[in-house]
Amino acid sequence: MASTKLYTAIYVVLFVFATVQALVEEAGWLGGSDTLYWAAFAVIIVLSLIKAVIVAGYYQHLKWEPRSVSYVIGTGLIAALALTIAAAYSIT
Amino acid sequence: MTDDTPDDGSIETDGGHATEELPAGEDHDDHGLPPMSSVKRWFLTTNHKDIGILYIGTALFFLVFGGILALLMRIQLWAPRAPGEGLLGPLAYNQAVSAHGLLMVFWFISPFAFGFANYVVPLQIGAKDLAFPRLNALSYWLYLFSGLLFGVSFFQKATFSGGWTMYAPLNIPAYTPEVGATTAILALVMFVASVTVSSVNFLTTMHRWRAEDLRLRDLPLFSSSILLTVWMMLFAFAALLAALIVLSADRLLGTTYFVTQEGGSLLWAHLFWFFGHPEVYIVFFPALGVMAEVFQTFTGKRIVGRKWFVAAMVLVALQSFVVWMHHMFLTAINLQIKTLFMATTIGISLPFDLMVFALIYTLIKGRIRFTTPFLFSFGALLLFIIGGITGVFLGAVVLDYEFRGTYWVVAHFHYVMVGGATALFGALYYWYPKITGKMYDEFLGKVHFALYFVGFNLLYFPMFLAWQTPRRVFDYNPAYTPWHRLATIGGFILAVSFLVMFYNLYRSLQTGADADDNPWEYSSTAEWAISSPPPLENFPGLPSYKGGKLNFVSKVTGGATDGGEVTDGGTAVATAAGAGHGTAAATAHEEEHASHASFWPFLLSLAGFLTFVGVSGINKGGLYTPLAAVGGLGVAGSLVGMAREPFTVPSPELAEKWPFDGVEDMKLGMWIFLASDVVLFGAFIGSYLFMRVAEGWRNWHHLIPADHVVMPGLINTYLLLTSSFAVVLAMVAAERGSNKGVVASLVATLALGIGFLINKGIEWQHLFHVHSEAFPEGWELSTNIASSTFYLTTGLHGAHVIVGLLITLYMIPRAWRGAYSGNDKPIEYFGLYWHFVDIVWLFLFPLFYIL
Repeated sequence: MASTKLYTAIYVVLFVFATVQALVEEAGWLGGSDTLYWAAFAVIIVLSLIKAVIVAGYYQHLKWEPRSVSYVIGTGLIAALALTIAAAYSIT
Repeated sequence: MTDDTPDDGSIETDGGHATEELPAGEDHDDHGLPPMSSVKRWFLTTNHKDIGILYIGTALFFLVFGGILALLMRIQLWAPRAPGEGLLGPLAYNQAVSAHGLLMVFWFISPFAFGFANYVVPLQIGAKDLAFPRLNALSYWLYLFSGLLFGVSFFQKATFSGGWTMYAPLNIPAYTPEVGATTAILALVMFVASVTVSSVNFLTTMHRWRAEDLRLRDLPLFSSSILLTVWMMLFAFAALLAALIVLSADRLLGTTYFVTQEGGSLLWAHLFWFFGHPEVYIVFFPALGVMAEVFQTFTGKRIVGRKWFVAAMVLVALQSFVVWMHHMFLTAINLQIKTLFMATTIGISLPFDLMVFALIYTLIKGRIRFTTPFLFSFGALLLFIIGGITGVFLGAVVLDYEFRGTYWVVAHFHYVMVGGATALFGALYYWYPKITGKMYDEFLGKVHFALYFVGFNLLYFPMFLAWQTPRRVFDYNPAYTPWHRLATIGGFILAVSFLVMFYNLYRSLQTGADADDNPWEYSSTAEWAISSPPPLENFPGLPSYKGGKLNFVSKVTGGATDGGEVTDGGTAVATAAGAGHGTAAATAHEEEHASHASFWPFLLSLAGFLTFVGVSGINKGGLYTPLAAVGGLGVAGSLVGMAREPFTVPSPELAEKWPFDGVEDMKLGMWIFLASDVVLFGAFIGSYLFMRVAEGWRNWHHLIPADHVVMPGLINTYLLLTSSFAVVLAMVAAERGSNKGVVASLVATLALGIGFLINKGIEWQHLFHVHSEAFPEGWELSTNIASSTFYLTTGLHGAHVIVGLLITLYMIPRAWRGAYSGNDKPIEYFGLYWHFVDIVWLFLFPLFYIL
């Protein structure tokens, strides 16, 4: 398990990342061209993904559990993504 | 005797067979449970065998319920009718069709299979019970009350009448306005709650409570089929739950998902069939497991290609999630995706072919005993082959254009689904001696099968011949009248066959011959190694498969054997020397006394039932609102009562736990539940993304008022992140034994969570009352699809926050009394949930506030 110091550092990182996501919007990228919009989109979603992995890995201690636990959650995630991506593609 | 049978008469298939004299059972008392003759016992019991019997009995009740509706339909179809002619009016017919489908698929077939799973799986894997016995009882009571709720729906003007697939827009109040239609949807929500609880329980048990050295790959085939079924259930039903919650919101709260012109009805089809196709295998897999088990027993032959059979089942379970769009070939989805799903559909038939050939080849290699269970299983195989072949037509895009919406579909899926149920009736005869301790009447069993098989084929095969009859319609081309009459006659013969079955089961219980522990010569699974019926805690010792055969590690009193130690006056468990991978050495100790009785699961489900009845008509006022309030209080009170009740469930020390060694039962259960919650939220977020793509991704902004800004979302992100950090600090404080630290951290979590809800409340109030040119009437749930997705998705998340805060409220006074000092486990388990809620928000924030 991690130390309190590490838990605190993680909290600070999560806080900063959330702020950065809001600043991207504040910067007006999302109102710009399609290229700029999707670049900003990618930055914001990747930041959310990193935050989620950090919370799961350290606060939920997945890092110290057998990999099989991560696979269970990963399977749920893949199922949800399969539904979303295939359904969205089906109407393009 | 076949070439697989060793000289000592034991068979080594599926974990082996007890060959030595069994130690005397120690189960002299029922641990506070009243006797089986007492009605009270059945309300209190948490024992898996009792729950199994309850499931089987209740499922048979719903078989009769759904069956009577089917007979009413068949009477109506005796001749083509105009609306108003015949026994059933148009709305009554639509209700009968819809309710028949829903009852049979949800409340009969799967629960019937899970009755056997409840009874048999713990016996087959060498467990004393399921890992969470009270949750098992809760699953049952939720199931029963969900079915009763469905029954209530008939008395609220009308039950749901839009077909069992509940397609949009027929599922919205404009087309099905009756309160009963809403109740039917809520009954399904309650049913899914039962399924989810059950899935978590079975998965935890089957992964962590297997007897020593019983590897997953060596599970008996029935247990293997159940394990895969439960994994499919966990993920598939979560998608259905999302669909049902959205539908309930559309009906009760006025959201506009399924009335939205662009994508609304397609969204339902995607969500429903993402669940619906795995559901076909969820229904069929247990039947497949029964077929394999029964074929082995009554041919005296291990199933041919066993490991390939298991591998094929695994493959089908995975593939079942990538074929759902073959139910949507007639919708507006694009041709590329149709072609892809046609290919995946053809792909899923291949492993099924392998399984069918393995079963047939087993028959050829063995020597068949034509007992009733065998006849039903063999009949099921024949019916499934017909059902499978006729289904291939529907998997081809071009042919499906012709067949969709006709009786071809009706005939095909009845051959598959009722074909599966056929094997389950075989299971009823197969395990009847084990469950009751009595032998059934073989002659009557065969009469049942003969009537059943003839009735079944007379009922469903003519539907192929009259396939151009439109589905769900009682007026048809008069040229098909003879076929429909034949089907009606077949339906009644099928019904009569069940009268024979019920008579046989009842009569045999009263006067049948006593059954041996193992009435079948070549059965090879562990349930046949113990008495019929088995004692309350199943085994006379600790089951172990060390050495490739089932043995019982002896419990001794008063003397040490095999290195066992004696405790003072208690029961000693022999030490298993050299315990293998995934086992813990069982040290001698005074065995904990397992609990088997709790009234709370029944009360909780009753309260849930009242809540749902109240919610169904909450927009109508009257008694509905107070009923919902009383039910809600009952739910809260029952949960507290259940949490406070002392209930001991000793986890087996000597057990095979791969691949979850070191993850205790409660933690694994929580993780498995969270995996289903991932799919639930994933389906919600997926629905939002789907509707946004349908609308045009960047056009979406026109549906949102300028007042919907980032700041409230950012503040809530800060609050939730900080609350997560506070839970971590609570755990650290508990580890250090700091009582004050635990209390302070939990209070901080509570305060931050309340702050989150207040902030959300202020934001929502503001948005409800915006007055702009584009939104002069405010931005409410029903304003447009953007507002609907925003309020409902963040609302579901908010509901999770509220649940978390209620748990925190429960934990704070306990923490004050020192319950977690030096014991951080309960806080860790709560933290898993709370951090998950945090993670979900990490995605909702950008999707609903920034992008």
